[in-house]
Amino acid sequence: MSDVVLSINKLTKNFGKLCAVNQLDLEVRRGQIFGMLGPNGSGKTTTLGMLMGVTNPTSGSFTWFGEAATHHTRKKIGAVLEHPIFYPYLSGQKNLELNAMVKGADPANIAKVLDIVELSARKDDKYKTYSLGMKQRLAIASALVSDPIILILDEPTNGLDPMGIAEIREIVKRIAADGKTIILASHLLDEVQKVCSHFAVLRKGKLMHSGPVDEVGKGEETVEVMAYHDDLAVLLQEFIGSGSIKKENGVYQVTMKDGFHSQDLNKFLFEKGIVTSHLATKKKTLEKQFLEILAEAH
Amino acid sequence: MLHLLKIDLKKMTSYRTFWVICGLYFLTLGFTTASGMEILRWFANKTVEFGASINIDRIPLYHFPDIWQNLIWISGLFKLVLAVMVVISITNEYQYRTLRQNIIDGMSRWEFVLSKILTNVLLSVMSVGMLLLIAIVTGLIYTPELILADVFIGTEFLLAYFLEVFAFLSYALMLGVFVQRSGLTIVLLMLSHMIEAIIKLNLFRESLEPSIGWLKQFFPLESITNLVPLPFARYAFQEIQDYVSLTAVAIALVWTFLFNYFSYLKLKRADI
Ligand SMILES: Nc1ncnc2c1ncn2[C@@H]1O[C@H](COP(=O)(O)OP(=O)(O)OP(=O)(O)O)[C@@H](O)[C@H]1O
Ligand SMILES: [Mg+2]
Repeated sequence: MSDVVLSINKLTKNFGKLCAVNQLDLEVRRGQIFGMLGPNGSGKTTTLGMLMGVTNPTSGSFTWFGEAATHHTRKKIGAVLEHPIFYPYLSGQKNLELNAMVKGADPANIAKVLDIVELSARKDDKYKTYSLGMKQRLAIASALVSDPIILILDEPTNGLDPMGIAEIREIVKRIAADGKTIILASHLLDEVQKVCSHFAVLRKGKLMHSGPVDEVGKGEETVEVMAYHDDLAVLLQEFIGSGSIKKENGVYQVTMKDGFHSQDLNKFLFEKGIVTSHLATKKKTLEKQFLEILAEAH
Repeated sequence: MLHLLKIDLKKMTSYRTFWVICGLYFLTLGFTTASGMEILRWFANKTVEFGASINIDRIPLYHFPDIWQNLIWISGLFKLVLAVMVVISITNEYQYRTLRQNIIDGMSRWEFVLSKILTNVLLSVMSVGMLLLIAIVTGLIYTPELILADVFIGTEFLLAYFLEVFAFLSYALMLGVFVQRSGLTIVLLMLSHMIEAIIKLNLFRESLEPSIGWLKQFFPLESITNLVPLPFARYAFQEIQDYVSLTAVAIALVWTFLFNYFSYLKLKRADI
């Protein structure tokens, strides 16, 4: 069996005149943690909606596991799109029982997933009495209840506290370690960088970029320098490895020329009799790359 | 199939509104049909005070076989209550967007509609069961000389009653799928008969009545009403239709199919 889990082929969705998703081609492979990035309204949720059978595509197609999608395929996928959706008058437990029935999942899983999202203590309270973060957690629990091979999460950390965000990150990582495939739409780029193996960038429904996350750090290096010396700026300019130099919050950001690294700069400064109080190599962030990709598009 | 019914029932059985409305429905249905004789007696006593007198025991309201059509016609009036419940059940799915999650979780759109239709079948069967029980008990109490053969005459009205309730619930479901908001749907549901009557009034001017008046029976709500004709005129020595017309059944069946099919079609095409 091929390891392509999801293959999207020229998928398009028009809402009247508005083209929300435009000729999208994408492939997700087994075991990838796939980040979907894009500004507001770029078509992430619409794409996921089509993949999950709630939005009818205008044209194009996609296959799950190499087969045209049916509702049976969806049972093997755990998905939360946009907002948690539950029956407000039912308890968390009852809601999950209902999810499990629809998915044909073993009800014995419910206690387990409630534990994972740390909602066991509140499981018998009505859903409408939950806080936003608890609702989000229940949504993740419901996506996990059928022990799915693929997890689709659309901004799962929306409205969570920093602790909650970190917990969700751990959950996602743990699930990924089980060999599951995860598709994650998010605006938190450092989160995506921390957990995702691959990412795609959408803009106005079009695919702008798709590739592995660890390639983001490759290429030019930036070094942060701080030292108690008045002429530091002048000296940094003298260094032959310096590309551009910027000062941000009292810290100099030196972009290195090809072939030069932070240790070269450190050595140079030391020879000039300057001891730095701070010196750090900065990898290019996904955020920066993301903004560049979007800027290129103009 | 049973699985789908269980899913839909699970949504409802922890919902207080469901119990309140269903409770009200079955209680009023039960009490009204069971206590018709008492009401009549009270009414007779009142009229006695004005000098007139009715011998209520001469009216075979609760005698086999009259009882079937009598009670079923009365019960038919209460189906609106049940239909309101159906509307709330479907419009909730839109309001809470749980319909969307059901599909995401792996129901097909047809399965979703089917789960609602199956609940409608169950509610209709329960109505028939309730009526069957009440009719048998009250019939045994009030029929002066019980002849076994009489008991079974007119039981075809039970089937007509099932179709009457189920057709109307299917109509309510379709209205909910198309309108999606509970308040508006309930208002439309309650005005449906009036709206249809106005349309008929305008279409069939008196001059046209003899030539195309027969078309009236094809109107959706009229077709449901025609299943069980009003029986009480027989006690004023008038001719009534005391059987179930097969034409009426056929027309109502076609409408019932269409209501459910339209629900499915609408849901299939919608982005949810
Ligand atoms: N039901 C709808 N009817 C009309 N337009 C819609 C509908 N749903 C989405 N759109 C439009 O499609 C475009 C893409 O929306 P979508 O929700 O997919 O964006 P998104 O990438 O998920 O954005 P966000 O990051 O804000 O969640 C937007 O311009 C939106 O207005
Ligand atoms: Mg979105």
